[in-house]
Amino acid sequence: MDVLLTSSAFAITLILLPLTAGMLCFLWPAIARILGIVTTAAGVFAVAGLGWQLQLNGTFHHPIGGWGAPLGIDLYADGLSLLMLGMTALVALAVSIYSSGYFTSRDDEIRFWPIWLLLLGALNALFLAADIFNLYVTLELMGLGAVALAALSGGKQAIAGAMRYLLATLLGSMCYLLGVALLYHSFGSVDIATLAVRIDSSPAVWAALGLIIAGLALKTALFPLHFWLPPAHASAPAPVSALLSALVVKASFYILLRLWLSIFSPQGVGDGVNTLLGLLGGIAVIWGSVQALRQTRLKLLIAYSTVAQIGYLFLAFPLAAASGGLAWNAVAYLALSHALAKAAMFLSAGNLLRYGGHDRIADLDRVAQRLPLTAGAFALAGVSIMGLPPSGGFIGKWLLLKAALDQGNWAIIVVLLLGGLLAAAYIFKVLGNIFTQASHPHEPSMVPARMEWAALLLASGAILLSFMASPIFELINIGDVFITTGVKS
Amino acid sequence: METISLLTWSLDGLLGLSLLWLAWRALTTPDLFKAVVLFIAFGLLITLVWVRLDAPDVALAEAAIGAGLTGALLLSALSRLDSTNSDPAPVNSGEAPVNQKPGRFESIHWWPFLSLVLVSAGLGSVILSMPAAFSGLSPEVNAQLTNSGVENPVTAVLLNFRAYDTLLEMVVLLIALLGVWSLGGGVKHKEPFPGTVLDILTRLLTPVLILVSAYLLWVGAHAPGGAFQAGSVLGAAGVLLMLSGWQLQMNIPVLLIRLILLAGPFAFIAMAAITMMIEGQLLQYPTAHAGLLILLLETLATLSIGATLAALFLGGQTWKNDEESL
Amino acid sequence: MTTAILYALTGIGLFSLALYSLIVQAHLLRKILAINIMGSGVFLVLIALAKRSDEIPDPVPHAMVITGIVVAVSATALALSMMLKLNTETHHAELPDDQQG
Repeated sequence: MDVLLTSSAFAITLILLPLTAGMLCFLWPAIARILGIVTTAAGVFAVAGLGWQLQLNGTFHHPIGGWGAPLGIDLYADGLSLLMLGMTALVALAVSIYSSGYFTSRDDEIRFWPIWLLLLGALNALFLAADIFNLYVTLELMGLGAVALAALSGGKQAIAGAMRYLLATLLGSMCYLLGVALLYHSFGSVDIATLAVRIDSSPAVWAALGLIIAGLALKTALFPLHFWLPPAHASAPAPVSALLSALVVKASFYILLRLWLSIFSPQGVGDGVNTLLGLLGGIAVIWGSVQALRQTRLKLLIAYSTVAQIGYLFLAFPLAAASGGLAWNAVAYLALSHALAKAAMFLSAGNLLRYGGHDRIADLDRVAQRLPLTAGAFALAGVSIMGLPPSGGFIGKWLLLKAALDQGNWAIIVVLLLGGLLAAAYIFKVLGNIFTQASHPHEPSMVPARMEWAALLLASGAILLSFMASPIFELINIGDVFITTGVKS
Repeated sequence: METISLLTWSLDGLLGLSLLWLAWRALTTPDLFKAVVLFIAFGLLITLVWVRLDAPDVALAEAAIGAGLTGALLLSALSRLDSTNSDPAPVNSGEAPVNQKPGRFESIHWWPFLSLVLVSAGLGSVILSMPAAFSGLSPEVNAQLTNSGVENPVTAVLLNFRAYDTLLEMVVLLIALLGVWSLGGGVKHKEPFPGTVLDILTRLLTPVLILVSAYLLWVGAHAPGGAFQAGSVLGAAGVLLMLSGWQLQMNIPVLLIRLILLAGPFAFIAMAAITMMIEGQLLQYPTAHAGLLILLLETLATLSIGATLAALFLGGQTWKNDEESL
Repeated sequence: MTTAILYALTGIGLFSLALYSLIVQAHLLRKILAINIMGSGVFLVLIALAKRSDEIPDPVPHAMVITGIVVAVSATALALSMMLKLNTETHHAELPDDQQG
């Protein structure tokens, strides 16, 4: 019994179970919905188990095949991985429940469930990876799955958006892989822990850093490489948009963060890169928010909001050095709350689309009365996105603000305040229309209850995060990944 | 440390320059068909380069997958493109449209060009700064090779030391196929009768290809070869059959096809789960049986890879018509 | 300049050439060709630099490249399918804002 309850068991279940379930759904499509919900529910338990084990025993480390790095591949989990896995598990469960109501025809089901579950396996494998080439393979698996799902709704817009997404993601992967090649051929390993020890400041490392950051920034849609995101996220089916904005973009960000924290910044490599990332992040916040404000269609508004929120994540880079773990904790919290809130938003938008047949903001017709749960979900999610208390988004932005104040970084403070105002503007733009009658009222269609509840529960989660800050921070900091000693910047 | 003599230097230089030239021509020639053919030629040339660089396993994989199957996919897609409005003359083709003749220099997009020249210069100097002798992980691989169950170091890495990557890679093939199938909309392409030569050639070649595939699978343990190479030759046999219009006469149940497609990834995952439960370590083969287990995994993987590659070539079939098609 | 360095530089050349083409060309088939050639460039860097070891070349990059080749063909197949579907819907083979005329 002991072997079943170890960290290894939970971690490996997180990877193998969705992969197996995806394949089973492909074989027997009739059981796809049930299997999907069961798998994601099991995932939540597995993450909880992993978290429990991490608290007891510290970080988890598993040499696959018994070989050990640098010859073999290792699995690794610390607080940051746990956070990402937990975020994935919660959003995955909600999206699965939602999708069981959203995809009703057998055709749609067989197109969605196998690819979705394989994608989930890829996400979990990514967050547990400790090897930069293994990360490349999981990135590609995740990317191909995400693209395939994004194209699901058919139609010119969706296919064009998905095609652009595919090309962007492949370009990003190629740049990343070249960086991996340079690192391997400089230090003889692709294992993160080994590289962290062996790394130095040679030109190859700088080149690798540049390539890896460029590739991952493209995949994370950091300004100005964000061009592919709004069309792809907006024209995908609602649950897919939720997955893309909440989880898939966070995955490449996670890799960037992990490599930065473990390999590059402890040696002081890339000091100037901090400032560049922060600058781009700041522009993303303003640009994304302004663009969101200008949209007439709801899903595009939400997609641009994602571009803006990703910018917040990068604001932490210039602040991180002098702030201790504060800025990174903020990033973790922001990533988590954004995932829950943004997924809730897209799911709500899906409900509105299903209900009214369109997503034009100006024509949202008395949604508050007809779909109160959905309206509530959108409103709560909006609170977190705006960064109002009480919400996870508030905590994240508050920590960033505090770090910026401590360091007197006025540029970032201005960005944070301005971003908050703009977010409030575009959220209220939608909320305003939810409560009023449209100029052309229409007959509403039924929206299944589970779709509304899924959205509402996610949004409530984003709010509840504000009450769970202390235990979450404790969990995140298992493994002390955010403490980088000897940082020179 | 080797400085190479004038002859080898000129041979390598020639190969390198030809690669660059072929690539440039493939990317800029106005005729798409020519572009794809040049790309296939590029693939074959790079296969030669792999042989030159002592990478026979990679050469086999590149020839079968990179040049062969990718070329087939590209040609098939090209033939299905509705070219009424597509394919404007590409930039830098050196062949101007009839009415205007932009000079060579005007058709270059300067900002990307200059920035990429800078980037290549930077990367080039990085490469030049790398030490000329570096052993990488070969000492570690050699040390553990006897415990891996096979004698071919590349197979040992793929199927034992880094088998987890291979597991994920099998899933990549599967997810690509699922994506292609979910896009659907593939017009049922009735191949015309292929003509006597192709017909006879197919009848002769198919059993040969199957034999070659089995050989590559078997020999991969101690010489260049292995599951991917064998699987891609099998896939090539499948593509050849499809191209010659050979219709499956027997009714292979859909379930069986899907099982074959899944056999590879399932085998890896089952192996992973079993080793986890027995040994407590993921994918840790008991040393005595490692060779046998690897062969088992490779056999199932070969079948899956072959089936998946052939299915990818077949392209989007709708899910609905399960009885008639896939 | 050793063999390894020479071919690695060729790989960089292929990478940049293809990247330029990817950015600048509009037709999707050409973009897909460009991605494949970029991949070949990276693989060339991986394998060429592996030849710097004394006896047999380092097998780990070889395994990585085989993995990469399989990933590339999977991605190419998906990309081609999507291009064909877009072509069926729009009768063009470029992304909407790249279309000319």
